[in-house]
Amino acid sequence: MMIEALPKNIVRFILLVLVQVLILNNIRISGFMIPYVYVLFILLLPFETPGWLLLVVGFMLGMSIDLFMDTPGMHTFSTVFMAFLRPPVLKVIEPRDGYESGTYPRVAYYGFTWFLKYAAILIIVHHFVLFYIEIFRFGDFFLTFFRVILSSLITLLMIILSQFFVFRR
Amino acid sequence: MKDLLRFFIRHHFVITFIILEAIALTILIDNNDYQKAKFVGFTHAITGNFAKRISSAKDYASLRQENRQLIDENNRLYNLLKSSYRIQTIEKLLQNDTTTNRQYVYLSAKVINNSTNKQYNYITLNKGKKDGLEKDMAVVCNEGIVGVVKEVSGNFSSVISLLNRNLQISAKIKSSGYFGPLEWTGKGYRKAILKDIPHHVVITKGDTVITSGYSAMFPEGYMIGIISDFKLKGGNYYEVSVDLSTDFRSLKNVQVIKNNFRQEQLKLEKSSSE
Repeated sequence: MMIEALPKNIVRFILLVLVQVLILNNIRISGFMIPYVYVLFILLLPFETPGWLLLVVGFMLGMSIDLFMDTPGMHTFSTVFMAFLRPPVLKVIEPRDGYESGTYPRVAYYGFTWFLKYAAILIIVHHFVLFYIEIFRFGDFFLTFFRVILSSLITLLMIILSQFFVFRR
Repeated sequence: MKDLLRFFIRHHFVITFIILEAIALTILIDNNDYQKAKFVGFTHAITGNFAKRISSAKDYASLRQENRQLIDENNRLYNLLKSSYRIQTIEKLLQNDTTTNRQYVYLSAKVINNSTNKQYNYITLNKGKKDGLEKDMAVVCNEGIVGVVKEVSGNFSSVISLLNRNLQISAKIKSSGYFGPLEWTGKGYRKAILKDIPHHVVITKGDTVITSGYSAMFPEGYMIGIISDFKLKGGNYYEVSVDLSTDFRSLKNVQVIKNNFRQEQLKLEKSSSE
């Protein structure tokens, strides 16, 4: 199961990093908002992914983005944090019947509302950590918070669109 | 060992998380000047704060010793003061002996009992005959004069407080030099009266009253208080109200002054008046 998923995930990893650094990083919506769609990779990992692997993958993903964006450590830190919170978040929003084997955390399997909750929580967590790590202080708390919310909305929008156009099943 | 291993296995998720975040944070702080500056500033603020607290606690703990040293130092300096020595004539210089020339010797003592609410107040000091205290020595503190030693035992001495209606001290107004006896009014622990100032003397409120040095107990020039009021008494003499500079309620460390030439002076005065 895991082994089968490996090549597909490696390709997805590379593609997402490339899309992020080559295309999305150059789109600056209203000047300063970059959609960080690469976190989609963490969202899409299979339910069975062990916790440690989740963290390691998050570390590698964040590191790759950092290498391209020349922001050492920032994306690594926030992506690992997000990966750390993925299992508890999945637990909290678990549907009544639990997660069936052979399914993936996508709109196609668990519906739009479930996915919206799942993605929104983790994206906000990621962006929150990222933006505060970037500014590295709690002064201007609300200005930073405003940026977190706006950027999260844009990332969320693009990730949800991807559910309908790319990862349909 | 086994338990430790089990602990690691059970919590491997959290431990991995902490390790990875620690690595990320290290990379972050090492490679970003802004974050580095912030982080270093933050840690310095913490360590600096701690260092400050520790040092202030240490300061506090050593206060007693510090005080003791300051008192000793103060005494040492007083003993070096020119006013502690008799001004020498040229003939005397030939004797080349400093110990006989010294007029005043200062000794430090601590107040161990004190009262301010009676009409005849006494103070007890923690030094006595063994420490060199004798009857009729003057007692002063940093703020002003305190009293005169009345009785000494081996280790303690009893001092007539200035707040005692039996004590009279020769005092003078610093600006004009006119002197008179000063005594306590018995009302309030900061009020005294200076008597026998002739009516032609110009007195100003706020003038300083100091010891005259005539009593052979107090050296000249010790602060007693400040003039708060004055009125003519019986037509010829002023009665001057003095606010005492010494706060007898908070008396702690005092200096006892020994006048080496007191006996000589008294003897001479006595024989000449006979």
